[in-house]
Amino acid sequence: MSTATVEQLILERLSSAQLPDPVDNLVVASLLGDDDLAAALSSDGQSRASSQPGSDAVNEPVATYLRAVTVEGFRGVGPQVTLRLDPGPGLTLVAGRNGSGKSSFAEAAELALTGDNKRWSGRTVIWRAGWRNLHTSGDSRIAVGLAADGQRGVTSVVREWPHDAALESGTAFAQVPGGPRQPVETLGWAVPLELYRPFLSYSELGTLVAGRPSEMYDALQAILGLDQLIDAERRLNDARKKFDESSKKARQALPDLLEQLSAYPEYPADPDDRARRAEAALRRRTPDLDAIEALAVGDQRSDDGMPDRLQRVTSLTLPGSDAVAEAVQLLLTAERKVAGLAGTPAADARRLASLLTTALNHYADHPGEPCPVCAGRPLDGSWASRARIEVTRLADAARDADTAHEAVRAASRTLRTMVPAEPAALAGDLGGKADATVARDLWQRWAKLAADGSNQRLCAEASQVIAGLASAVDQVRADAARALQQRSEAWQPVAAALAGWAELARASQHAGTMLAHLKSALTWLKAAGRDIRNARLAPFAEMSARVWETLRQESNVELGPIRLEGSATQRRVSLDVTVDGVKGAALSVMSQGELHALALALFLPRATASDSPFRFLVIDDPVQSMDPSKVDGLAHLLAQVAADRQVIVFTHDDRLPEALRRLQLPATVWEVVRRERSIVELRRNDDPVHRYLDDARALARTTELPEDARAVVVAGFCRSALEAACHETVRARRIAAGTRHAEVEQALARAQTLHQVVALALFDDASRGDQVAARLRGRFGPHAVNAFRAAKTGTHTTYAGDLTGFVEDTARLAAGLRQ
Amino acid sequence: MTPADLLTQADRLLNTVIPGTQGCWPRACAWLIRLALEETLDQYWANVLPEAASCPMRAQLLLLPAYADIGTAQRAREAWTGLARAAHHHAYDLAPTAAELRTWHTLVSQLTIELT
Repeated sequence: MSTATVEQLILERLSSAQLPDPVDNLVVASLLGDDDLAAALSSDGQSRASSQPGSDAVNEPVATYLRAVTVEGFRGVGPQVTLRLDPGPGLTLVAGRNGSGKSSFAEAAELALTGDNKRWSGRTVIWRAGWRNLHTSGDSRIAVGLAADGQRGVTSVVREWPHDAALESGTAFAQVPGGPRQPVETLGWAVPLELYRPFLSYSELGTLVAGRPSEMYDALQAILGLDQLIDAERRLNDARKKFDESSKKARQALPDLLEQLSAYPEYPADPDDRARRAEAALRRRTPDLDAIEALAVGDQRSDDGMPDRLQRVTSLTLPGSDAVAEAVQLLLTAERKVAGLAGTPAADARRLASLLTTALNHYADHPGEPCPVCAGRPLDGSWASRARIEVTRLADAARDADTAHEAVRAASRTLRTMVPAEPAALAGDLGGKADATVARDLWQRWAKLAADGSNQRLCAEASQVIAGLASAVDQVRADAARALQQRSEAWQPVAAALAGWAELARASQHAGTMLAHLKSALTWLKAAGRDIRNARLAPFAEMSARVWETLRQESNVELGPIRLEGSATQRRVSLDVTVDGVKGAALSVMSQGELHALALALFLPRATASDSPFRFLVIDDPVQSMDPSKVDGLAHLLAQVAADRQVIVFTHDDRLPEALRRLQLPATVWEVVRRERSIVELRRNDDPVHRYLDDARALARTTELPEDARAVVVAGFCRSALEAACHETVRARRIAAGTRHAEVEQALARAQTLHQVVALALFDDASRGDQVAARLRGRFGPHAVNAFRAAKTGTHTTYAGDLTGFVEDTARLAAGLRQ
Repeated sequence: MTPADLLTQADRLLNTVIPGTQGCWPRACAWLIRLALEETLDQYWANVLPEAASCPMRAQLLLLPAYADIGTAQRAREAWTGLARAAHHHAYDLAPTAAELRTWHTLVSQLTIELT
């Protein structure tokens, strides 16, 4: 696979895409994560995402092979048994009948490594309850030994359960060579196991193709390393949905707001017509948010001055009655003092003092002369001293009179200006709630009194008039305060609604802008993703096609390019299947065996990806429901894969081993048999003829069995060895000659007696059984005929001769027949 | 060996680990049970219809319902069908399982009683 990460590929494309800044920014943020995208969406979209995507360190995978699988008290296996494997590339078959316990090894390997098993997770409670071997009373244990390329020793992964533990409550550990026990997770295989899945079970073969299309899509996406792309797309898509909703919210909320406004009363409750103006602002094609916000903020901005007026009225103050009474008293006292001066008006005194002062000046120049005013007696010294005293007295009296008059004037001024001039506010409109008429009348009466009334009248009426005015103003003030409050109470919820809507509208406006960016980002990312995806998929698709070509053999189904298509819930793997040249055929026309082959074609590229640390593949029973010709294809395919991978295949019959032998493809074959009480035995069985002969030899020496019984079973194995040799010869010859597999198998199945089978091998004609003995004698000598006869009858009637000699004669005959 | 002896040995192979029989006991067991069945039928025909003993097994099984209980005949056929297949090297078949062998063993054991 290419080494560049998806992120790098996208950033590269992005740099030459010349997207508008906000769109570019969103694409980058979507690759970075949820938080980054959220940040990019809440900002104005202009500033570049803060953090740059980092590239994860890529560890070179260490090639890992399986070395052993040990099972004890688990599934079909009772006492401990170990499947030993050669840790390197090569093909190993484990053949055993269904129920022999062979799948227990596959399951144990998968469970030990993954902690879960595909078969497990999907299975019923009954199955899960049966995980422990019935014939085990002790502990259960599964262990996998792994060998890493270029490292000495074996890494073990072990899971074990005390005898009474539940499946989930077992313990697991891993141990690298020379290291302590450690948690399995520390091996770091969780992700690769998920990505490359080196295990393929029979049940999975069925679901890989027939399962939900989205599952295979996801599996392939993951293997292609496209998770980031998927995440980024998902993030953008989620955001798009959210912003789409949010961009519509203001419009959705508008009818309610308009209804609330239309319910708001007309003048005079709303003399400045705020509700109507708000309506107008809202009904514009692009609502005037500034105007709406201004209206929502409140009374201060309204321009008719009424709230001001009301405010001013409520702050009016008039002098209290005590203050008025005091001022009146002051004026009265001053008046009384003036009245007390009675007859000594200050002017007369001052004039007289002035006359005497002038006379004194005259006296100073003309002492002793007669008074020039009355021409009477002369002005002498005694007159002068009396006159001086009189002048002083007269000046004092004049000053007292002045002071008294001044006091009256001051007191009068104080009283007359005690009440302020009538405020203009009272003359204006007070919203119809407060009536200022009485107050204004009284105010004018007072103004008139204060301006024109004599001090005497003022003193008599001031207290009464001012008290009346004060109570009238109190009334107006209270009315104004009430009007003010009513006015703000009625408007308040409307203002709040307006303010709320304006905020919503601004958010919606932002969302609308972002939505457009998001759509562009998503469109761009999808197109870029499609290219990257198909480029990445190409090598996999190619290998799948090759696998299918190898497996299809006589199938009329052709597999075209594999594509990843659709997205979200529509995502699927598109398999271009052509049946008999008809395109677009459904998978349902394919046989079970073809589907399994197809599944293998999809599984193998993934499990053999070069990035996978696992150099082994464990495939459980791929042969089931494959016809013989496909088994040949499978044998070839597995041998190819085994050239640089360790391939372990579990199989329930001898077809695959037979095909491998016939096609002379190298493989190690293990045979699994299970005794009663779950005693499982494993042994090599690369060559059935040798296997039978070895068994015959072993039994011939088994003194534990009575001699009669020994003779019977030895004869049985000898006959099987001959049958196997003949079958092999016949298959090889006929298939090489181009005969169809099914016809070969029919011919072999029809040859039931040993005579017929050997005749088929010798003459390619089962009906020439009567010529077998002569031919054997001619070609292989008399011992061969003896062995043939003993093998034929020995299982019915006890062979009386030397068993060991019989086996060796048979071995020579079998070797001869195989040539 | 009598059928009973053969069945005893077959049972030993089936439920005990006899040295030298590892892995090969299933087929060995099958042959012993098969021989026990053949011997049982031979003895039966010797008393009932001596000519039948020399007939092929297929013919013997076809004759059996005419002489023995119908259920017995069915059991004999079932056991034979399985054992004949298991005892030959057969196209692609692996050795019989312990469960199959136990079934045949039980069937034949029953036949040894029913056919005497």
